[in-house]
This record gives sequence, structure tokens and C-alpha cells, in this order.
Amino acid sequence: MNELDKLYPPTIREHNTSPFHFEQRKDRAVTVRAYNPICGDRFDLFIEADTGATNTIYFHGFGCAISKASASVMAKSLSGKARAEALRLCNNFLDSLDSDSDEALALPEEWKAFQAVREYPERRDCAALAWAEMKKYLESNPS
Amino acid sequence: MSHTFNPLTVRHDFPIFRNHPDLIYFDNAATSQRPERVLREISDFDQKQSASVHRGLYELSSHATRRYEAVRDKVAALIGAENGSTIAFTKGTTESINIVANSFRKRLKPGDNIVISGMEHHANLIPWQMICKEMGASLRVIPVTKEGELSLDRLQTLMDHKTRLLAVTHVSNVLGTINPVDEIILEAHLKQVPILVDAAQSAGHLAIHVKKLGADFLAFSAHKMFGPFGTGVLYANPVWAPSLHPLNFGGGIIQHVDFDQTEFLEYPRNLEAGTANVSGVLGLGAAVDYIRTLDAESVIHHEHFLATVFKEKALQEGFIRVMGNPRRHAGIVAFNVNGVHPHDVASYLASRSIAVRAGHHCAEPLLQYMNEAASVRVSFSVYNTADELDRTIEALKEVKKFWA
Ligand SMILES: Cc1ncc(COP(=O)(O)O)c(C=O)c1O
Repeated sequence: MNELDKLYPPTIREHNTSPFHFEQRKDRAVTVRAYNPICGDRFDLFIEADTGATNTIYFHGFGCAISKASASVMAKSLSGKARAEALRLCNNFLDSLDSDSDEALALPEEWKAFQAVREYPERRDCAALAWAEMKKYLESNPS
Repeated sequence: MSHTFNPLTVRHDFPIFRNHPDLIYFDNAATSQRPERVLREISDFDQKQSASVHRGLYELSSHATRRYEAVRDKVAALIGAENGSTIAFTKGTTESINIVANSFRKRLKPGDNIVISGMEHHANLIPWQMICKEMGASLRVIPVTKEGELSLDRLQTLMDHKTRLLAVTHVSNVLGTINPVDEIILEAHLKQVPILVDAAQSAGHLAIHVKKLGADFLAFSAHKMFGPFGTGVLYANPVWAPSLHPLNFGGGIIQHVDFDQTEFLEYPRNLEAGTANVSGVLGLGAAVDYIRTLDAESVIHHEHFLATVFKEKALQEGFIRVMGNPRRHAGIVAFNVNGVHPHDVASYLASRSIAVRAGHHCAEPLLQYMNEAASVRVSFSVYNTADELDRTIEALKEVKKFWA
């Protein structure tokens, strides 16, 4: 397989061109800033309370294909989840970027696309950006 | 042009290209590669002559001391300085600037100001911002035009009788702009303002004559001019040298110490506390020797030529935006591929063995002027060729296709 097809599998390319819940929602939601000072990538993550105990996640901003696709997959994975479950997913996703094992087989299909960054350590932070900020937010705001 | 050189011949001097024959190294503004001559100097010293300087009473040490001190004269000759005692060895541009900022901090009073430009590397911005904040002084900024040049018509009003220093880069590490430091220095001196020139991107690329320029301070790094990491230079004009105080305290910088007070050595030795980076300094000396084998005019002509051709070819493709268009420029170009993030461009180029930089290049405020969040940067050196430009343009076309 071509090196670039490995780093940018179809899932990443699709989420980069048509991201999920990619819109400005500042007025309606809690905003968390995900910023990577090394490269200047900058996303606002919007956490909107649903009527029940769950949240819907939107995001907006500027970043590379990997950070954008990763934020998009995050918005999709965490929307409709309660905070504790969302936090658990954040931890799982971040772990999956670092683990060497074959646990990857059990990952949700769309998460697997980011497994390639394990071979490109300089791009790991791109894949982790939105998830790491969301994790921080959820840890300090458990309910 | 007096005489030109052949980049393909020069390339043989750099072992990195023997180890990576396909490498297209376009990240020279971050760090240059090192020629055999520099590597050999360092390894010869370590294997045959290693000893600390200014301390030992044995032959190895006095030999090391003589050679270490001789590098001051070499560097002075390269930049047209008065003599070797105007040259202090530091860890790099960043430390050189911090030494000057630390010394000027004590001279600042509330209401004073320091003037810098809008195209400074963070290394020539944050130290000034910090001391201004601490002392209640203000930081004034020479704006940058859309073309990527300094708005020098603003300089007259920005400098006043409360301006304590002007700090400006010789060459922009993002746009490649060569600033008219000679004119800037004249204006500063008319108002009795001392000036620091950040020469990180010009040393080894452009002929510098610090005495003719009249710069009061000049800072640069060995690793960007074919020398080793961790070594740099601060030049201080003899008039200003006595106003510089140690940033680091410790051994090797003292005249006399007792428990109540310390008398320091004079500049430049007062700035070099601790055991010196001897092999680094000797490597710097070898880098200066190497630069002297190249014709300075041909070097800048070659790098300017590559940047000009790259911009022309890039603009012809229609999907590349080049940042700025300065009239005088060195071999550095920042650009973006429409619709593709700079990191994704850089990753693609990396897969084609083309090393470039992507991001904000430690000059975030400049990118705000230019209305870009980040960019790709190519920066050229003596071993780069026009053929490498063509291969890069081809790769950029593939990037566009890949992300279409
Ligand atoms: C214009 C400019 N100034 C200062 C620096 C800092 O140099 P160093 O990191 O070697 O201290 C750089 C390096 O990137 C630069 O390009």
C-alpha cells in the first residue's frame, strides 16, 4: 500500500472533506478550545446539553486532515453519550493511538483509520488533539 | 557575478547526502546540514586534543584555549567586526538575544519603550516583551505590509527619546525578506537608539559587515550556517560591550570572588560562565572556514535564484498562494496549497523525500499580518538545485490531486 494511503485512509479523507457536525455553535453550547501551539491547529469543540443526560458535540476551526477528521469522528462518537461514557471513549481512543497490541481489532471501524499515526509519531498529536481536550474537559466537569 | 559555483559539487562536501542520496533538503532555515570539514574538526578535537579551556596548565588545555580563542578572530573577520574581543560565544541566537535583553532590563524605566518589527522570530520578540512587561515599558512594533516588507515610514514616529533599543531581523525566517538594516541603523542612530540585528538567517548566506552597518549587537547560530548545534555568537560593539552583564553566573567569568561580592571579567569572557563548549566553538570556526571557500555573492545569488524560480513556478500552477512578495529576498519562501493544510502538504512531500517545514515557524504574529494560520516553508542552501525545485513542484501537483 502507498505510504500516503496508509496515513490517510478513506475514512480520514472522507471526514476531512465532509466533517460531521462541523459548524459554529458558540451561542448555544459550552465551548472548549483545542489548540496545538506547535502547528497552529485550532478547533472549538461545542458541547451542547440534550434534554436528557446526554450531549451533542459540534466542532469548528482549522487543522490538518488528521486533526480535523479525528475531531469529526469524535463529534460522531460522543454525540448522544452521557459524560461518563464519553470520557471512557476518550480514554479508549487516546490509548488506541499508543498501544502496540492487536487490541485494535476490537476498535470501532472509524477509529481504526487513525492507527497509522503509531508509525508517524510526528502526527500523533494531530490525531489526539480534540480528544485530549475533550477528556480534560470531561474530567473536570463530570456532570 | 564574480564567479559561480556548482551546487552539485558543493553537495559532495556534505555527508548527509551520501547517506540519503534522494533527500531534497529544503529546511535550511531550521538548520543547515554540516560539511565534512566541520564534522572532522569536531571529531579530531574529541579524539586527539580534547581538554577544557582557560583552566588547565598542561599542553592539551593551552592548545585548546589557543584554538578556542582563535575562533573569535575568525568570526570577527567573517562579519567585519573590529576584532575577536567583540565576539562572545553563546548557545545560539536565542541565548545571545536573551543576554542583551537581560542587560537592558535594568536600563528600562516605566514609560520607556523598545521597538521591534512585526516579522520577528519568537526569539527576538518574547525576551523584549518580557522585560517590557516587567519594567512597565511598552513594546512597539514596526508593521509589515502585505508584500512582506517593513513599513519603514512608521519608524520615525515609533522611535522617540524614550526608545531604549531597536531589535530587528536581518532576514525574515518566514518570508525571506532582506530588511534594509543599513537604513534602519542610520535612523536609529540619528535618535541615539542602539540596535540589535538578528542575523540567524543571514549569517553564512549574505555578506555581513557589522562595522560598516554600525550594528551595536548582532546575534546568530552556528547550526544555521553549516556549524554544530548548541553554539552561537553575540557580537557587541566595543562602545556597548561594557553594558552587557552575565545571564548565567558561575565559574570562568570572574576576576575575584569573596563571600560578599564578585568582580567579573570583561566582555566577552563575562558572558561565558561554566565549562565552554569547546568542540562546538571549533566546529563554528571550521564552518567559518568553509563559508570562506564559497563566494559570498554567488551564495546569495544562488539562493535568491532558487526562491525566485520556485515562486514563479508555484504561481504558474494556479493552486499555490505564496506569502508576501518582498523586493529584496533571500532563499526562503512560505506558501500554501489551496484547500490542503500545510501539515498534509509536508507529510506528502516527506513521502517523496522532500524535507520542508510546516506550521507557524515561530513567528505567529507575522502570520496574523499575512492572514494565514500556518504555511509550508521551503528554504534553500548552497547544495540545493533547480532540479530539486522541479521535483518539488511535481510533488505539489500530486498533493493537489491526492486531496482533490
Ligand atoms: C530569525 C531567527 N531568529 C532566531 C532564531 C533562533 O535561533 P536558535 O534556535 O538557533 O537560537 C531563529 C531560528 O529558527 C531564526 O530563524
